Amino acid sequence: MTASVAAMIRERVQNIETMPAIPAVFLPLLKLLGNASEDVKLDEVVRLVSYDGTIAGQCLRVAGSPLFGLAKSPESIKGAVLSLGLRRVETILLTCCLGQAFPAKTWVLDPAVFWRHSLGCAMVCRKFSEKLAAVDGEKAYMAGLLHDIGFMVNCLVFPKEFAVAMERACREEIPLDEAERATMGFTHCETGRALAEKWKLADDVIEVIANHHAIEQSQKAQPWVALVHLSDLLCRMRGLGYGYYERHMVDLMADPAWAILLKEHRDLGGVDLVRFTFELDEAVEDIHALVAAVFGSAGQTACPQ
Amino acid sequence: MTTITQSTTLPIAPTKRVEAVDPVYRQIRDLVYKVSGIYKAEEKLYLLADGCGRRMKQLGSRTPREYWDQLTAQPGRDGELRHLLNEITIGETSLFRSQPQVDALRKVILPEIVAEKTKQITKRLRIWSAGCSTGEESYTLAMNMLEESERLLKGWTVEVVATDLNDRSVETAKAGIYGDYALRSTTEYFKRKYFSTVDEKKLQVRPEVKKLVTFSRLNLQDDSKMLFMKGMDLIFCCNVLIYFDGVSKSKVINHFFTNLNFGGYFFLGTSESLMKLNEQFHLVHFPGTIAYWKPSLKSGKL
Repeated sequence: MTASVAAMIRERVQNIETMPAIPAVFLPLLKLLGNASEDVKLDEVVRLVSYDGTIAGQCLRVAGSPLFGLAKSPESIKGAVLSLGLRRVETILLTCCLGQAFPAKTWVLDPAVFWRHSLGCAMVCRKFSEKLAAVDGEKAYMAGLLHDIGFMVNCLVFPKEFAVAMERACREEIPLDEAERATMGFTHCETGRALAEKWKLADDVIEVIANHHAIEQSQKAQPWVALVHLSDLLCRMRGLGYGYYERHMVDLMADPAWAILLKEHRDLGGVDLVRFTFELDEAVEDIHALVAAVFGSAGQTACPQ
Repeated sequence: MTTITQSTTLPIAPTKRVEAVDPVYRQIRDLVYKVSGIYKAEEKLYLLADGCGRRMKQLGSRTPREYWDQLTAQPGRDGELRHLLNEITIGETSLFRSQPQVDALRKVILPEIVAEKTKQITKRLRIWSAGCSTGEESYTLAMNMLEESERLLKGWTVEVVATDLNDRSVETAKAGIYGDYALRSTTEYFKRKYFSTVDEKKLQVRPEVKKLVTFSRLNLQDDSKMLFMKGMDLIFCCNVLIYFDGVSKSKVINHFFTNLNFGGYFFLGTSESLMKLNEQFHLVHFPGTIAYWKPSLKSGKL
């Protein structure tokens, strides 16, 4: 990508009037993840969410849905946390925030498909971090959740161009970033970076968003980029991709990202990747249900009909 | 006992699910995985619990905990584990059991093998269905290869070598007659194209499919015979190795590795793992399924 294309993307993202503001509680919520003790977090989450009635209401509606099997719908965020656990409520809240920032009507990619992939990647990042002693699970979760926000920018800022890329990816069953590069000349990594910079996300997260398809370009935070890159691939191979068949084989352990992560975290070598994959399947249904509860619909395909 | 398997999931709410399953079943799940490589995911724990339930009834055990003791205490634990494995893999024999494996084969692997062999004079594809049981997997492979015979495999010779230890299974397989249960995942398209009607409830595989498959009896532990199974492009061995002890399993897997061509693939059942019994195979992912790859010479990954 040339410097002029990068400047063009940045300018369009900065200036576009339809670019949504992220709900005010989103960034403080992200900061809370992994930063404080459970007790403090609970109080903080409750305090933050009380500022935004829409988010709080949506969160309670989802928490009370049949998905979570509670006998009685929770009446407050605190009640929801006590019944479902803080981690689950945080996931619901973050998903609701992002869902609000990007209303469904503006999408080229089916939002249900997009959110399943993002939540799936977040969950796999956290699962990986549970196997690796020195990785902060909450930070991993956040990096996974946000890695593809560039697709949202594509939908809003470059809808026609992105529709062409999407159509080509579906038709040729090739990875979406490959189709973007071939038809648009840039990818969701570049558009995602522009939005992440506008939102002033943490540097490591920006690095992940910008380089998860080009790990060799990553200057800092390489292990984070590697972690998200591998989780992203695994999701796409286990039913949490972009809603179409990707015609390729993935050899995770031969991927340069595996070596990078292994260099930093020797315990990666002990991970039973097959079992890890089967365990991931266990969560797929949960993710489908969560996304259906937040967004109402559950599209089966992202491809243009 | 063998087939291509496919995962099915039930929409059970996570919290309900956790309450419903006795934690002992997770211990049993881990034991089964350690010994056999079969992994029953959380949403399929009820299948494991059902299998245990049937065994408990036979043995007269009153609680899952009591059954756990029977599974782990000598004497008889090996025999009991075998009974349990039979119970949990029962019903996994049907045609078209794993669409992700078929997709990986037709959409990713075949184009790759065809491209790799394009310069060879004899265009020949050999697939081994090892532990073919009553033939469902073998015919599924043959039908899918026939589907490609006018496209990717035009001008190619395809051979499905199907073997099983059990003579009676081999005879049933040769007949190629299947009822509703074995055909439950077979689409109307395939039924019409590749089967003839035997009676109201049964269909028989047509001769042009049978022509591609050779059935014979083979003991996978017979080293001298295994040496003759060379030149395979693909090997399918689903839910067979789960019954072998570690040493035998490792030996059979080494044979499979040797018998595969460079660039060939080895498939297990969809919830089955090779564990770490062979370090030469590369674990690879395709959409919805995993396989083991013997790297091609030019990949430089051997």
